Amino acid sequence: MIESLIGFAALFGLVLLRVPVALAMIMVGTAGFAYMRNWSAALNLLGGAAFDTSLSFTLSVIPLFIFMGNLLTISGVSQSLFSTAHHLLHRMRGGLAMASIVACGGFSAVCGSSLATAATMSKVAMPSMRKAGYADSLATGSIAAGGTLGILIPPSVILIIYGLITEADIGKLFVAGVIPGLIGVLFYLAAVYTAVLLKPQLAPSGAEDHQVTRRDRLGVLAVLGLFIVIMAGIYGGFFTPTEAAGIGAATALLIAVLMGGLTVGKLFRAGVDCAKTTAMIFAIIIGAEVFSNFVSYAGLPDAILDWVTSLDVNAYVVMLVLVLIYVLLGAVLESLSMILLTVPIFFPLVTSLDFGSGILSDPEMVVIWFGIIVVVVTEISLISPPIGLNVFVLRSVLPDVPLPTMFAGILPFWVADLLRLALLIAVPGLCLLLL
Amino acid sequence: EELVLSSWLPPKHPVVTQVMTPWAESVEEATEGRVTVRILPKPLGPPPAHYDLAADGIADITYGLHSFTKDDRFLRSRIGQFSFIGDTATDASKAYWDVYSGPLDAQEEHADTKLLGLFVHGPGMFHNNQRKIETPEDFSGLKIRTPGGYIAGLSQDLDITTQFMGPGEVYEKLSRGVIDGVTFPMEALQAFKLTDHIKYSMKVPGGIYNTSWFLVMNENRWDGLSDEDKAAIEKVSGAALAEMAGRVWDAADSNGASYVADTEIEVYDAPPAVVDAIRAIAEKREAEWAAAVQDTGFDGAAALAELRSQTGVSD
Amino acid sequence: MPDESTQPAPSRLWLGVKTILGLACVIVLFALMGLICVDVVARYFFNSPIRGAYELTEIFLAVLIFLALPLTTQARGHIEVELLNGLKSRFLDSLATVVAALSTIGVFAILSYVVWEHAEKLASRGTVTNSLELPLATIGYLAALSCALSAVLFFLQSLRRI
Ligand code: NA
Ligand code: NA
Repeated sequence: MIESLIGFAALFGLVLLRVPVALAMIMVGTAGFAYMRNWSAALNLLGGAAFDTSLSFTLSVIPLFIFMGNLLTISGVSQSLFSTAHHLLHRMRGGLAMASIVACGGFSAVCGSSLATAATMSKVAMPSMRKAGYADSLATGSIAAGGTLGILIPPSVILIIYGLITEADIGKLFVAGVIPGLIGVLFYLAAVYTAVLLKPQLAPSGAEDHQVTRRDRLGVLAVLGLFIVIMAGIYGGFFTPTEAAGIGAATALLIAVLMGGLTVGKLFRAGVDCAKTTAMIFAIIIGAEVFSNFVSYAGLPDAILDWVTSLDVNAYVVMLVLVLIYVLLGAVLESLSMILLTVPIFFPLVTSLDFGSGILSDPEMVVIWFGIIVVVVTEISLISPPIGLNVFVLRSVLPDVPLPTMFAGILPFWVADLLRLALLIAVPGLCLLLL
Repeated sequence: EELVLSSWLPPKHPVVTQVMTPWAESVEEATEGRVTVRILPKPLGPPPAHYDLAADGIADITYGLHSFTKDDRFLRSRIGQFSFIGDTATDASKAYWDVYSGPLDAQEEHADTKLLGLFVHGPGMFHNNQRKIETPEDFSGLKIRTPGGYIAGLSQDLDITTQFMGPGEVYEKLSRGVIDGVTFPMEALQAFKLTDHIKYSMKVPGGIYNTSWFLVMNENRWDGLSDEDKAAIEKVSGAALAEMAGRVWDAADSNGASYVADTEIEVYDAPPAVVDAIRAIAEKREAEWAAAVQDTGFDGAAALAELRSQTGVSD
Repeated sequence: MPDESTQPAPSRLWLGVKTILGLACVIVLFALMGLICVDVVARYFFNSPIRGAYELTEIFLAVLIFLALPLTTQARGHIEVELLNGLKSRFLDSLATVVAALSTIGVFAILSYVVWEHAEKLASRGTVTNSLELPLATIGYLAALSCALSAVLFFLQSLRRI
């Protein structure tokens, strides 16, 4: 128990010294396991973990969904989505910020990563909002927050990893993400509306219309079509998630070719970029595997389970405490490692809870519902200071906007996220309706 | 002394709750608390890594299937995978422990570990959603998930397209038509929620196949125990463990059978022509195995005959 | 600052390595995508899935990861956290740079060693994949070489930054 806490402290220390998160987890996990057992066992464990983790059938969807997003970025459908939303919303005060949110939601339907969604949308939405005279805080805030929808609206890398840890059905997790994702879009729109109502100087009262071209309409149709192929394929039982990812990537390639502008050089860069992101993600998965082996060996999950059981409180109280822990952890942890480190610890606890006679009396439903809750708290972590990766992405695209301005712009969306989280906990049916 | 057991099955699986946990308690009791066994909440590696986790000392104790990895080890363990080896898991497990750990010297194949236990599950069945198998030709062209090893070869000889995947992926692939069926004991239909996607379940006397399981402990840790504790642990392991595990599998199968009885699935006994076709292939494969075992200096054919006579399926 | 004229040799070598690894990554990625699509088509239209598609998928994924790992590492593509930017201490900054560089090189060197050991074990046992009986040790050796290359590239890159 105490070893686990020292391990977490050492992990934070190394991360603060700018050791890559994956490598810090490998270092502390290996050293911790060696301390609990011996060096030979720890090094054997490391070799096996690095090898076995990379040979995973389920996780093969990760590069495919990433490649799909990269190809669609090249094809320019992000511009089509934004232009169309711009046309529809330009008369409202804050309409372009709302258009950014809607376009982020649309792009999320074909991109599995929040960071990629934010990066892609910032390139098309930010110039328009600046030209129209939007405050940098609202403009960056809407893109950073809208980008978080990438991991909730399917496809989602985080839901895939949650499914891997908990052995939950990835197809069902994807389906469960749809309604909470749409609620997310609505709540973010309400956040923009409220922000400009309270502070009209954030945005002009309206913006010039944007002509929607034939290409834009094609782009929107392509996104919609691809989303339907993936979801109907999984939901209707035609494809497994792995097959949906492969077909999705191939279809995205076709879209990129048809939309024009795809060169061999761009295709090469999209492929290499996807491979590099995949290696980065797997380094974190391997690191988290090694670290959580140490923590599990040191008895932390058992200790937490025993402690909560001894409290003998209502299941929803436990959930509230967990969510609070997640929001606090989310402030300081990187999202992927947060999921990988906490879900193995909290999952046995959550599945042991008694949620009464409603929809959550079915243990399988609890697993799916908890997965969506975990993704929503991860979304919050992506925009929470001091370590909010989505904000960092925007910062790298827009180096002239100071971080405090960005985090100030996040505030309304952060409040919207907390409200959405409360709603999804209070009404689990919203996640489970389509199942 | 605390021994750490890495467990890869879900924590609520009967093998964990009714075999490993009670066994761990009986070790503590038999050694009067000098040796305790702690079951980790999360495995230290994927299922196929589990033999080596114990052999390499990453964990002290592990259990798993001999067929997890396809390599040169555990040749003689395959006696537990053949067709027609027992009508109940209890009989087959006891005989398997007796024959494999005795005349076939199982300990020698379990290098770097102390072999504590061996068992098999209930008789393997043939489940599919395409057609009732009434003649050997009905097997032809079916896409079936098998666990690899003997049953994969047998299926291929019956003109079945075999597919390999983790047991957790069976539901998804079955519901999407990637596979038409699966070989499993009865309990798995309920455990893996397959009843909506299976129409015909065929029983074969003594099982169409089986799967052999081991329970092992790191050799150095074993050597470090006192002779008194070793004897105490051996007493609650081995034959006693085989019987305990067999009873758990049999109970799971009979629960599974009554669950399946309330579904649309047609459960039936394999017609004689089908059994004969299986037997013809089985004999060929058994002879191949016995020849390979012969080369390592053991009499496989005699051991198999002994196993069958102990379970009463010999004819 | 190293003289420009001393640069071309290593960087041309690096450019070659980068291009070859990149090309290999793209080929494996397309192979993975193609395998899955062909498998679906073969199943729906010819009722005959590809034999060993399951294990080929796993192998392609592993090969993709380990081909790309040196590229990611060299490009400093592993997620790190920039909190110390707030602390304007030059000492802390240099300390962080040295600790991070040494950790990265050290971890990849150790990974290379332990994964190589793991591959040796797989080779001595003759472990093969389930249907196609491909030797798994080969992937272990590839993974070990990939980690070693990552360590070397990061070391060279750190030298150039100092
Ligand atoms: Na998405
Ligand atoms: Na954060």
